[in-house]
Amino acid sequence: MSMFRAKKLDLGCFTNIKIIRDHSKRKAYEAAEAERQALRYVIRNTTLPARTRAIAQLQLTQMHCYTRPTQIRNRCILGGKGRGILSDFKMSRYNFRLQALAGNLPGVKKASW
Amino acid sequence: MSVPRARLLALMKAQCQLFSTTYNPEGVRTGNKILRQRLRGPALASYYPRKVMSFRDFQDEFRALELEVEDDDELDRLEHVAALKARGKGTPKKGKDRDKKKK
Repeated sequence: MSMFRAKKLDLGCFTNIKIIRDHSKRKAYEAAEAERQALRYVIRNTTLPARTRAIAQLQLTQMHCYTRPTQIRNRCILGGKGRGILSDFKMSRYNFRLQALAGNLPGVKKASW
Repeated sequence: MSVPRARLLALMKAQCQLFSTTYNPEGVRTGNKILRQRLRGPALASYYPRKVMSFRDFQDEFRALELEVEDDDELDRLEHVAALKARGKGTPKKGKDRDKKKK
């Protein structure tokens, strides 16, 4: 959603629309995290009246989908791919292989025995 | 040998006072687990590397000192565009002039 997008591109890695979208979702989640956690607390607290908890449930489900943490997906910072990502290196498996063989990743070495 | 429940509860209460935890012998769900969680937002939002500085900013820094910096990539691009245009493969014209030329 364009209202969550930065007015000026603030990414220094490979960019395509999927990366920009994911980045906006991450920022939206960061902004709304405190509110989400507060609502989650009210929902889980069984000592509160049932009505309050039901209202909190409704409010949580009615928040924008961009503020949901489950919308966030790790993507490759070199090619934008969404599958086969090594989260330690934020790279897809093929880009990881290329970078590792080129010696750009400190401490990574091809196994041989 | 069995210890009465009242005594166990008293022990529990004393324990909670000592270590300043909430006394909750019935195990009622109070949702405190949510409050104990750390905020994940900052870590998630810093996944992609941010843009530090663009080449334009770099040029502007030096313009104040009356020094010119050449952006090789931009020059290459302009050269490529000029070459396309020379072969008649450039982008079409925009606006009013477009129709006149077609006729």
